[in-house]
Amino acid sequence: MGEAADMRSSTQNPAESFGQIMPGQDPYGALYIHVPFCKQRCLYCDFTTQAIDHESPELRAYTDNMILAIRRAGRTGLLGSLRTVYIGGGTPSFLGQKYLTELLYTLSLSMHLTEDVECTLEANPDSLDERLVRDLWALGVNRLSIGVQSFNDDELQALGRIHSAQQARDAIAAAKERFTNLSLDLMCGIPKQTLESFRASLEEAIALGVSHVSVYPLTIEDGTPFEAKVQSGELADTDPDFQADCMELAAEVLEAAGMQRYEVASYARPGFECRHNIAYWTGVPYLGLGEGAVSMAQNANERVRFSAGGEVLDHLNASEMLAEDLMLGMRMTQGIGPELVSAARTTFARFDDVCGELVERKLARWEGERFVPTTRGWLCGNELFGAFLDL
Amino acid sequence: MNLDILRTPPYAPEIGRYIRYSKQVMSIDPHYIRNFSIIAHIDHGKSTLSDRILEQTGTVASRDMTEQLLDSMDIERERGITIKSQAVRVDYVADDGQTYHFNLIDTPGHVDFTYEVSRSLAACEGAVLVVDATQGVEAQTVANAMMAMNANLEIIPLINKIDLPSADTERVRAEIEEALALPADDAVLASGKTGEGVHDLLESIVYNIPSPEGNAAAPLRALIFDSYFDAYRGVVALVRVVDGQLKTAERVRMMATGAEALVEEVGIRRPAEVPCEALGVGEVGYFVTGLKDPAQVKVGDTITNATGGVEEPLPGYRDVKPMVFTGLFPIDSDDYEDLRDALEKLALNDPALVYEPETSHALGFGFRVGFLGLLHMEVVKERLEREFDLDLLATAPSVEYHVFKTDGTMVSLHSPQEMPDPGEIDHVEEPYLEAKILIPPDYVGAVMDLTVARRGTFKTMNYLSPTTVEMLWDIPLSELILDYFDKLKSSTKGYASLDYELAGYQTSNLVKLDILLSGKPIDALSFIVHRDKAYDRGRVLCEKLKAIIPRQMFEVPIQAAIGGRVLARQTVGAKRKDVLAKCYGGDITRKRKLLEKQKAGKKRMKAIGNVEVPQEAFMAILKVDE
Repeated sequence: MGEAADMRSSTQNPAESFGQIMPGQDPYGALYIHVPFCKQRCLYCDFTTQAIDHESPELRAYTDNMILAIRRAGRTGLLGSLRTVYIGGGTPSFLGQKYLTELLYTLSLSMHLTEDVECTLEANPDSLDERLVRDLWALGVNRLSIGVQSFNDDELQALGRIHSAQQARDAIAAAKERFTNLSLDLMCGIPKQTLESFRASLEEAIALGVSHVSVYPLTIEDGTPFEAKVQSGELADTDPDFQADCMELAAEVLEAAGMQRYEVASYARPGFECRHNIAYWTGVPYLGLGEGAVSMAQNANERVRFSAGGEVLDHLNASEMLAEDLMLGMRMTQGIGPELVSAARTTFARFDDVCGELVERKLARWEGERFVPTTRGWLCGNELFGAFLDL
Repeated sequence: MNLDILRTPPYAPEIGRYIRYSKQVMSIDPHYIRNFSIIAHIDHGKSTLSDRILEQTGTVASRDMTEQLLDSMDIERERGITIKSQAVRVDYVADDGQTYHFNLIDTPGHVDFTYEVSRSLAACEGAVLVVDATQGVEAQTVANAMMAMNANLEIIPLINKIDLPSADTERVRAEIEEALALPADDAVLASGKTGEGVHDLLESIVYNIPSPEGNAAAPLRALIFDSYFDAYRGVVALVRVVDGQLKTAERVRMMATGAEALVEEVGIRRPAEVPCEALGVGEVGYFVTGLKDPAQVKVGDTITNATGGVEEPLPGYRDVKPMVFTGLFPIDSDDYEDLRDALEKLALNDPALVYEPETSHALGFGFRVGFLGLLHMEVVKERLEREFDLDLLATAPSVEYHVFKTDGTMVSLHSPQEMPDPGEIDHVEEPYLEAKILIPPDYVGAVMDLTVARRGTFKTMNYLSPTTVEMLWDIPLSELILDYFDKLKSSTKGYASLDYELAGYQTSNLVKLDILLSGKPIDALSFIVHRDKAYDRGRVLCEKLKAIIPRQMFEVPIQAAIGGRVLARQTVGAKRKDVLAKCYGGDITRKRKLLEKQKAGKKRMKAIGNVEVPQEAFMAILKVDE
């Protein structure tokens, strides 16, 4: 009994207890639920997750906690305006049918989980079967994002993934029983990967008929086994030229198949863009529940990011908020719209000069009143996004 | 007639105020004076031992000790080297019941400051040679001992760190006798750490170091062995009186510069200043000149009476000229004024530091600054950055070339940028050094190879002892200021010691090598090089720059060229991808902070045209291995 009480307080999100953390706060439009468990950690991974035995009592405890957190958030009115839900990890599908059912059931009681709310669950090929697919669908999940990374077994092994390419194909086939809004992740710059093998993965994704593909270049993160291997010389550091070739190839192959690139790393058939991610890039407040999850709250004058443990990670004033919105906006094909442009002009004297420089450097261009990135701007995103920090 | 001078207390018209009364009236009997230096290889414990002497003679209470009290500048303490000289008066009641007055003169410890060291030693009658009981005789031990012998000093060998388990006093004693030809039977055995043996040292100083000799009745002759600038009192000189008396309220003249000054105050340092009426024969102390221009008070100069003074100065004065020149530019051009002010302030305490404004197309406004050597340059740059909070960019050091033009005129170049067109040049001369290298015989071959590769001309070689060889070379200064000293050290396992003096100018086949980035010559990267070396240096430098210059948004060709002829070429490929692709809820803060950090990193680079060039690019030429 005492133990349960402790667990309750330890993951209590500050927003859950007070409802609001600042006066005149905008309602949360997006909810993120974190599941910090995996069967095995991949060699490149630096996310908040841990490898755990499937029978571990921690899964039970974590689910109970999450259920309490969702109910509290619902009671304090934080979930009333949600347009998107994203259950990410870790590996949410690893939680299994029983716990996911409890969690989603609670969610459906605490918010309006209607058909027009985008509800995504991340799944790994080894833990997604037909039965789970049907249950998830029945409980209100309407979008699946499957961590495929590659359709090449050598590459999967090099990444330390625990599934095979065939398992990925099977999982997608199972998902398609119910889901049309189906995304998969592909990675480029994997050790042993060639431009040809990457093309094969892209083509297989198209052939499998998914509606959304995310393409990430591998990054070597601090503290990962990959970083240690790079340090020791066992693994070559990532090759930015090869990654650039891959990203260009992804655009070519996916766009030829009718997908549109709506963000630097995201491609979708029209209407299947990930609305939850777009919320992150357009300054929509989000609530994060679970270990390592981050929330963003804002009003007209300030923006705060805080961890579920209540630590303030970021505190921006109005002009810093605007600069961040510009930076994030430039990640997307639609760029910065007329409203943001005129706000930026009023706030930053140098805005038009900086835009002029970016146009001159072919990193961005004007499309009417919209300021949008070029392909080159996307590839050299740090140059492009960083420009708005100088305003 | 100016009646002011007759008033009491004495009035100093130059400074518009009365001179302070003094406490001590009588000069000290030279018989009870001992003037000495402590010399040692780096890290052999010189400073700790000096501290123990101050402590055991009660000069400084041990609670007031900061570690290594004599090295007062931060940088000196950090690098374990002494840049400025110091002098401290210590009173010691010896076992014979008499009180002796010791003047402990600390000397700079680097080849850049050889001249300063020689002047400090000239103020002494003896030296304590400290040798580490575990390391034995090392290169600087030999070099320092030679300098002390040349100055005719009585040397007391001291074997230090005898408290260490690995101490081997008998071996070290034998080394001192063999390598230095110094009798070491009576070497003092001591530990600066525990204080053991310090009493023996003090007694040995009393009995072995001669008392100073001089003529108290003769006109004044005093040696300036260091000076510093005090914002309130002007230039203060550290002096050693040889003959006569240096008295307050008298007028004196610096013989080399001709500057005259009223002796506003003299005194001794314990190490706090204690004013006195006069400094007599053999005494060491400070002298407040009231002069505002440090250039008027030069190390090595002789002070005499303004009227009725001597004709013949003390021997050994040399006009110290900067040997190495470099461009110093603020990274942020707004800091130009601050840099100028900072240089002005440093130069007050460092007469060897000279500077003049310089303009670079690539780097904007800055200064051409002259130094005694590379260490001097590094120390000054570090002080500017640290004490004045400036971000500086230094160009590769250069020497003073003499360019004889076809029209018969000669120009002195301090910077490669000033090199006339090849058509106007008849010939170019460069400064040569006579370098003396001391090494154990095993390393003769290594030093030969290295020095010949640096255009050195071998002159002669002498065996000073079975373990020490002296090699004499003529070597161009421009080669020495590259990494010669480091290379010499590494190819002799640290045993080599190097001393040099300027040996005049010689004609050399020199050319200016230009470095072009994106097709544009970058003046701050050009340098002057011997024609035979131009190709290799250019090629290696292009490779180095390729590694140093980060990829930009466009291709950056790097070329090395003489006149219009390209000798070497490298290309920094265009940056194609530079994006942190994933950016979701929890990542946004981190991503933004990474971008901010990246921005800050760029601020440490200099934008030349549209190419971002890191600072180390400008020093790459220094690290060119053949």
